[in-house]
Amino acid sequence: MTDLPPPDHEADDLLAAEYVLGVLDLPERAAAEARAKREPGFAARIADWEARLGGLNDGFDDAPAPDLLPRIEARLFPSPAPQPAPGWSPLRWLSGMAFGATLVLLALVTLGPPRLAPVALLATADNRLAYEVASVGDSLRVTRVAGVPAVEGQVHELWVIAPGAAPVSLGLLEDDPLIVTYPTPPAGWVLAVSVEPAGGSTTGQPTGPVILTAQVGT
Amino acid sequence: MDDPVADLIAKCAAADRAAFRSLYRSTSAKLMGVLLRMLGERAEAEDALQEVYTRVWLRAGRYDPTKGRGMTWLIAVARNLAIDRLRARPLPSSDDGLDAVADSAPRAENRLVAQGEARRMVDCFATLEPDRASAVRGAYLDGLSYVQLAERHAVPLNTMRTWLRRSLLKLRECLDQ
Repeated sequence: MTDLPPPDHEADDLLAAEYVLGVLDLPERAAAEARAKREPGFAARIADWEARLGGLNDGFDDAPAPDLLPRIEARLFPSPAPQPAPGWSPLRWLSGMAFGATLVLLALVTLGPPRLAPVALLATADNRLAYEVASVGDSLRVTRVAGVPAVEGQVHELWVIAPGAAPVSLGLLEDDPLIVTYPTPPAGWVLAVSVEPAGGSTTGQPTGPVILTAQVGT
Repeated sequence: MDDPVADLIAKCAAADRAAFRSLYRSTSAKLMGVLLRMLGERAEAEDALQEVYTRVWLRAGRYDPTKGRGMTWLIAVARNLAIDRLRARPLPSSDDGLDAVADSAPRAENRLVAQGEARRMVDCFATLEPDRASAVRGAYLDGLSYVQLAERHAVPLNTMRTWLRRSLLKLRECLDQ
């Protein structure tokens, strides 16, 4: 029995198991999630336990789910996907040609990598903390242009809020710019930054103070 | 191994919206079952279902098919959200909910016996003492916390911790064979 893992590895594995089982309280869960983001080894322990305990998943019965896709897609994809043309017509075809030609011209003029298009600036009144949100292709890129990250044990989390909808997390703002697959939010949508415990909000909603907000297109 | 759900998740990571719709249609009944059982209320489960698929789209790139099947990953996303919401709730003032949970536990066990894929899990569960196996199931399937499990089994909190930790180590030993 000389190849037993050291006891702290055993404690780590039990912690991962308790996290997957779900018996930890909220602060312990947040700490475990933050650790999984920092330590690939700990994340792998969690994945192993998810696979092991996945044998219990047959205990969940199916339940009829309403079609929530339109609401989910409205949260995720602010501008609707282009619809196929309802019918073919010479006029439509001609205008399509003209549009295509314009696109080619535009492409010739703006050749190069996908352009960064500014979306919003999230900044305090005194500009001591500021994040710049820009769209690039089908992603948003969020860069801190002033100030410092949240203090140790906390993190800045970015949210997008459609009118009348609950905030949706776009990710954590740490040292590197955040790049998230998300289309440009239309005018009137709100971007916000809250202060969350390390690892981010565990409830799916902001739990800490909202320190920055900006409305898109204003 | 053939895993159509994993293929759809990979396409979501490549921003394929049609794949996202297929994924919702083929998996939402299962995830609704998970959320309904753990959260107990249909309105909250439906709200959570929206949040789960939002996360699935945004996090699809983190799914690693070498680490597990697609459905296992989806259920982990749903369970994690449900547990976060349960832990954020104030503790229930009565034990009505716990009684309902106790009633539903044997049904899950029967289903486990019925399905071949979980056979190994059933065999490993058989190595645990019945009340400890029931505590592990109550945590995993119903999202019960240590405090709720201790109440339900009428044992001190530390005893419940010890029960579950020993059970988890035993399960690991059995499942990893």
